[in-house]
Amino acid sequence: MNASDLGAWFDYTVNGFVIGNIYALLAVGLALIYGVSNLVNFAHGSVYVVGAYIGWAAITYLGTPLPLTILCVVVACALVGIGIERLGLRPLHGSSRIAPLLSTIGIGLVLDQVVQLVFSPDPRAVPMQVPEWRIQLGGGTIGALDLLIAAIGLIAAGVLYFFLRFTKLGWAVRATAQDSDAAQQMGVDVNRVNMVVFAIASALSGISGLLVGMYYNQINPAMSFEATLKGIVSLIIGGLGNVPGAIGGSLILGLTESYGIALFGTSYRNLFAFVLLIVMLLFRPNGLFERGRRLPPEPLTGTFIARARPLHVPRWVMAAVIVFAALLPLTGNSYLLQVGANSALYAMLALSLTLVAGTVGQISLGHAALLAIGGYASGLLALDGGWPVAVAIPAAGLITAALGTALVFPAFRLTGHYVSIATLGIGEIVALVILNWTGLTHGAVGLGGIPPLEVLGVDLGSVEGTYWLSLAVLVLLALLQVRLLNSHLGRSWRAIRDDSVAARSYGVSGDRYKALAFAYGGFAAGISGAITAHVYSYINHETFNAPISILALTMVILGGLGNVTGAVLGATLLIALPEAFRMLAEYRILIYGLVLLLLIRFRPQGVMGTV
Amino acid sequence: MMLSRRAALAGAVATGAALRRSARAADPVLVGISGPLTGPNAQYGAQWKDSFDLALSEVNPTAKYPLQYVFEDSQSDPRQSVAIAQKFVNDSRIVMELGDFSSPASMAASPIYQRGKLVQFGFTNSHPDFTKGGDYMWSSSISQAEEQPGLADFAISGLGRRKIGVIHLNTDWGVTSKNLFVAAAKAKGAEVTAAEGFLPNERDFRSTLVRIRDSNPDCIALLAYYADAATIVRQIRTLALPQPIVAVSSVYSPKLIELGGEAVNGVHLITTFFPDEPRAEVQRFVKAFTEKYNRAPDTFNATAYDTMVLASTLVNRYGPTRAAIRDGIAKVDDVPSVIFGKIKFDPQTRRVAGAQYKRLIVKDGRFQMWQPGAPS
Repeated sequence: MNASDLGAWFDYTVNGFVIGNIYALLAVGLALIYGVSNLVNFAHGSVYVVGAYIGWAAITYLGTPLPLTILCVVVACALVGIGIERLGLRPLHGSSRIAPLLSTIGIGLVLDQVVQLVFSPDPRAVPMQVPEWRIQLGGGTIGALDLLIAAIGLIAAGVLYFFLRFTKLGWAVRATAQDSDAAQQMGVDVNRVNMVVFAIASALSGISGLLVGMYYNQINPAMSFEATLKGIVSLIIGGLGNVPGAIGGSLILGLTESYGIALFGTSYRNLFAFVLLIVMLLFRPNGLFERGRRLPPEPLTGTFIARARPLHVPRWVMAAVIVFAALLPLTGNSYLLQVGANSALYAMLALSLTLVAGTVGQISLGHAALLAIGGYASGLLALDGGWPVAVAIPAAGLITAALGTALVFPAFRLTGHYVSIATLGIGEIVALVILNWTGLTHGAVGLGGIPPLEVLGVDLGSVEGTYWLSLAVLVLLALLQVRLLNSHLGRSWRAIRDDSVAARSYGVSGDRYKALAFAYGGFAAGISGAITAHVYSYINHETFNAPISILALTMVILGGLGNVTGAVLGATLLIALPEAFRMLAEYRILIYGLVLLLLIRFRPQGVMGTV
Repeated sequence: MMLSRRAALAGAVATGAALRRSARAADPVLVGISGPLTGPNAQYGAQWKDSFDLALSEVNPTAKYPLQYVFEDSQSDPRQSVAIAQKFVNDSRIVMELGDFSSPASMAASPIYQRGKLVQFGFTNSHPDFTKGGDYMWSSSISQAEEQPGLADFAISGLGRRKIGVIHLNTDWGVTSKNLFVAAAKAKGAEVTAAEGFLPNERDFRSTLVRIRDSNPDCIALLAYYADAATIVRQIRTLALPQPIVAVSSVYSPKLIELGGEAVNGVHLITTFFPDEPRAEVQRFVKAFTEKYNRAPDTFNATAYDTMVLASTLVNRYGPTRAAIRDGIAKVDDVPSVIFGKIKFDPQTRRVAGAQYKRLIVKDGRFQMWQPGAPS
């Protein structure tokens, strides 16, 4: 390999700029929204997909020329943006900082599903409407579309920069960003400013969807997640809310990926992107281009905890429910039991997340990674290490506790949005390490032939066995968690959540208590992943994927953050109800998204109330 | 597409209603299908349905035991496929199970089918460990152990190439295929200059291609699905790499040409199913399918059609019980097949050998039979 060849490096550099150029269009819109609303918009990639499909439909059905196509996309996406702001975010004004972020996740799910229902998941070709001439540059070529994308990115950033610095409405926007209440008192129509910003940013996102669709001659609804992720990484590199910085951040991300491929190979590309994200979050949370050591604009407190009195469930009712659940196998309905076992396994995950997100206030968007660590640890110990399953599962719980805590530990100093983004990145890193560390994890081929559940020679591989084991472990973990929450430890956790500065001044060290919470949460989730691995007999890096993290968060919010019974109830509802309504399967993820949105808006304390 | 999805749903409802009606008359013989009707792989479930309906409309009128199917939507998600497996195992009317689509979903359900002594027929599961799940796991998925040497032979003896750069999907399927391809190429005296694995949903391959270019291959092999292959080939053209391209059968789809445009002209590929092949089974299937659905079938349609014909043959030849199906599938012979000509299983590997590969080239925006010696 002549990777040291100067010509090749020139090509890698050009390629880095070409892909960074594409990320920039996404990052500029995200930066604008952050600059005004202090909000990382997780629905941004979904608007990008909407823009791509509207452009495709306009060209295919109406035969529009490029300027008219762009106009259609701009108008439609601006309207979508206004809708997001008006329906999804404005009603949340005055609630906790994390609420709008969760709301954009819900909106993103809903938009993606609507696009998929209307246009089908099939990839589509977007007819190229830009002249196809190309310029030779080093060993490769760049085309008119590359230049158009660069021009639109630069012009958008330039116009936005001047708009924000030198116009009255721009000042209003920046005033709103700094302190929306004060701005309102000074006569700024904050709502209108927000609406305009969402319209502009969404229109920009829609155009990038269209152009990227033309660029690759291919669009599909699944491309939104990747777009959001790459946009957010660029945003963090450039500095949250820094519009010109977003372009710089995008180009740096593009170059990092391209050089990463050059040095280590294609399958390491995203690993580089996410490691860069974590490094930036830890060492330069304000971005590369921010000179001052301004603190991240996050409140000291402010988790997504709505004050509520938790619903009190009498002990005898709980006991009766447990006895009822334990007797369920007498029905002999193995399908029911399988659904029950799934619910119990997810309930363990929800217990873990409700502790971390609810009790300690660290909203994690990468919780599925803990399942993956637990599943792989137990599977590998049993398969390659030859350990008995009954020993491998608790060992996997301990390994997940240790590894999970160690991975998140550096992120403990972060708060609010930064925690969510960091955990999202860590979740992706875990999946990519599993994929690439072939020597340990068997890589992409996955772990096959994982031995079935058995304890002391008793085969628990039958559905009754799986159900009873999962239920017993769940009950034990739940009781232990209730015990912990009522102890000194639980009070310290809630103190950190409610006011970390006050907690510290009383001698409660945030990091140690957060570590304890992640360790216990990691243990519960690790056990869940381990049992799942033995039930499935085969897992790979995609078995525990990002949508599971979002599902777990929905469960926890549905049940009531921090609430142990709520977590179990939320998991049971979201696992069992879709089975009951199989006819509605097509709308399942849409329904999850709507449930999440409606809860955040109307019942943030969940069904059982927060603790 | 929306229309056809609605039609598929309506079909599901109609099948359900038909089931309830006939359940009163006599117990019908059922096969259970676990597959994606929604979610990211929904298009494949919809394709299965079309082919199953076509196959049943042809075999049922003359069969002693007419078959019906129950299609449960798993979204190709292991959590749901295990619940569906319990449902099927519990339902004594079901004599055989078909699916799931993806390996994680199928293999998670395998222990349940094995315990329930119900044959799980994973006709798209090429994962080498799938049939190792137990003696009730069978597959007619094309074996990569056969396909990859065929592809290597196309590049080496067909196109006379000696140094091959490989781009493969970094999944269980892609890595297995790549390993088999590399081994086959080496055995035939060629060298693999580089092997680059990419992630699903990746769109930018420019830097990957620079790596491939700098390894100085005289041929590029694509082990990918059609959507990714179209993107890769387009970028190969923008980098102006002159090497010929060979690709596996999974790129064979009309979508390759739709998504790839002019760029895919000149791509060489092998395929097990080609509608223009003169063989009688193929022509009859293509004609019937086109008449019924007003579009050309692809490989997934052909595989699903073959599978339902096989299921009907097993039930009618060996009897409508789970045990009879398990015994029968090991010895069944001479089942007509679009993909294989005739289906016969190897009772050791529980897979089918002898898929017939055609060598194709994309020319003037159409798939055409490749002629040795023709300029590409």
